Amino acid sequence: MRLEKIDDYRWLIPRTYKPGMLTDAVVFASERLLEAIRKDQSLEQAANITMLPGIVGRALAMPDIHQGYGFPIGGVAAVDAQHGVVSPGGVGFDINCGVRLLATSLKAAEVRPKLRDLVHQLFRDVPSGTGQSSQLKISDGDLDRILEEGPKWAVENNMGSEADLDNTEERGRIAGADPSAVSQRARQRGKPQLGTLGSGNHFMEVQVVDEVFDTQTADRYRLEKDGVVLLIHTGSRGLGHQVCTDYVAQLDEAMHRYGIRIPDRQLACAPVQSPEGKRYLQAMAAAANFAWTNRQCISHAARGAFKRIFGASVQMPLIYDVAHNIAKRETHVVDGKQRAVVVHRKGATRAFPNQAVFIPGSMGTASYFLLGQEGAMRETFGSACHGAGRVLSRSASKKGTTAKEIQKELESRGIIVQSLTREGLTEEKPEAYKDIESVVDVVHNAGLASRVARLKPIGVIKG
Amino acid sequence: MFEILEHPSDAGILARGSTREEALIEASRGLTSIIVNPEGIALKEERAFRASGSDDGAQIVDWLNEILFFFDTEGVVLVDFAIDSWTDREIVGRARGDFYDPARHEFRTAVKAATYHQFQSQKTPDGWEIRVFVDL
Repeated sequence: MRLEKIDDYRWLIPRTYKPGMLTDAVVFASERLLEAIRKDQSLEQAANITMLPGIVGRALAMPDIHQGYGFPIGGVAAVDAQHGVVSPGGVGFDINCGVRLLATSLKAAEVRPKLRDLVHQLFRDVPSGTGQSSQLKISDGDLDRILEEGPKWAVENNMGSEADLDNTEERGRIAGADPSAVSQRARQRGKPQLGTLGSGNHFMEVQVVDEVFDTQTADRYRLEKDGVVLLIHTGSRGLGHQVCTDYVAQLDEAMHRYGIRIPDRQLACAPVQSPEGKRYLQAMAAAANFAWTNRQCISHAARGAFKRIFGASVQMPLIYDVAHNIAKRETHVVDGKQRAVVVHRKGATRAFPNQAVFIPGSMGTASYFLLGQEGAMRETFGSACHGAGRVLSRSASKKGTTAKEIQKELESRGIIVQSLTREGLTEEKPEAYKDIESVVDVVHNAGLASRVARLKPIGVIKG
Repeated sequence: MFEILEHPSDAGILARGSTREEALIEASRGLTSIIVNPEGIALKEERAFRASGSDDGAQIVDWLNEILFFFDTEGVVLVDFAIDSWTDREIVGRARGDFYDPARHEFRTAVKAATYHQFQSQKTPDGWEIRVFVDL
């Protein structure tokens, strides 16, 4: 594919690239990152999402873009809220997969001597959720409330505070969620998994503030060099996976009735205002609320683990919780006019001005805390990237290194890792991902979000 | 027989059989092998499968998602599959396996869903071939 260079961080896929494109796509990447991006089909997928009926502005590819199913991971597409379509594939199977960062009142020097105990405690107290392993037994009534109201349910059940809700995107509740739009099967999959981490690329990391770039913002969040934080990355578990599965199947059938033609069946979609589109958005909102509650329940268990190791006086305020697989009704200025749109963020983080943005790196490297900037509102419907982005397939990643070798190598660098499976280590080894520094450079220099602090892991818990 | 295909971020299954039914059974075995090492899984539990859809792609994806459903909701690992009927709208069958026990079984990775991405189900000179990618 021939890309037109706009500047050092922006590349254009013109709408003339292939028939059916309704608009251009813009790729945010450096020349070096682009080399890695070109190795898979993600740029073709970025071109494909410009074919979604009702797309507004340009389709966008973040610097961590990699090949997904239908939508690229790291793709953003906004559609007109009246005349556009909604695509469950533009959200993904893990609805409201996201990241939350908790500060602690602890410094690295206090944590290091007891780090192994802490990692073991976190591993014990936060189940991975394989089979049925949630420690929370919830009723159908509880589940209805969680789907409708999100983590407010957890706060009322002594698993968090009002401050946690204040520091969660949407206060953990997307309006319009309807539990009745969530199938019985989705409920059955999700109910035993509330408060569980999951496997794959989901993880929890004890991290140390390695460098502060923006002191004023860091002070606002009471972060300082050598302070310890906890990063949690997970989503809506089997409930969200089943909601996506259910609605991809329904919309796959429905789109033929609406005469919609798309280049990849996994992009199945329906008009936002159609009964099928509305129903999906109601179910997606419910699954998103479940995911925020999941991360809230995990936070509660993690706070308990820290207190058991370091005493009851440990404070762990939530810095922020942000989704990176979601479709949101928002208003944006497009070509000088206010437009009501539905923004699909598939592996992309909302990055509104002055909002906390987290970009986790691979296991053993660094993660970044950034602050959303005006540039994101002008160019990306208020979005930034969500991670480093894979460069090695899972099977390629498994070759050549054993889990024990990875564990030993990380320990030699002062990072203690505990994983339920060998695959959790070999598939997620640091070399499987792009260089986080290059990805963050693009986001910062393109003016989407600015660096606040770099966080380095010292303890990793993987499902 | 089946083989696991590479995908930049996930995994695929290429399953072959002398018939469409055999190919689907192989694809099912392939899917289970991504989640748990199937060696040593006893055939103690049986679950009924019913998968529907407007074409064989939708039906096959729905069938494979049944495996994920039983693992997530009951912790049952299914390794032995039988198809009783396959009509224009529906596949009906059964699967046998055992409850996952971390002390005895090797968990590999969770699968979120079977997808339509680059899906293929086609007759070949040797029989039938199904290609399906799953989201990990």
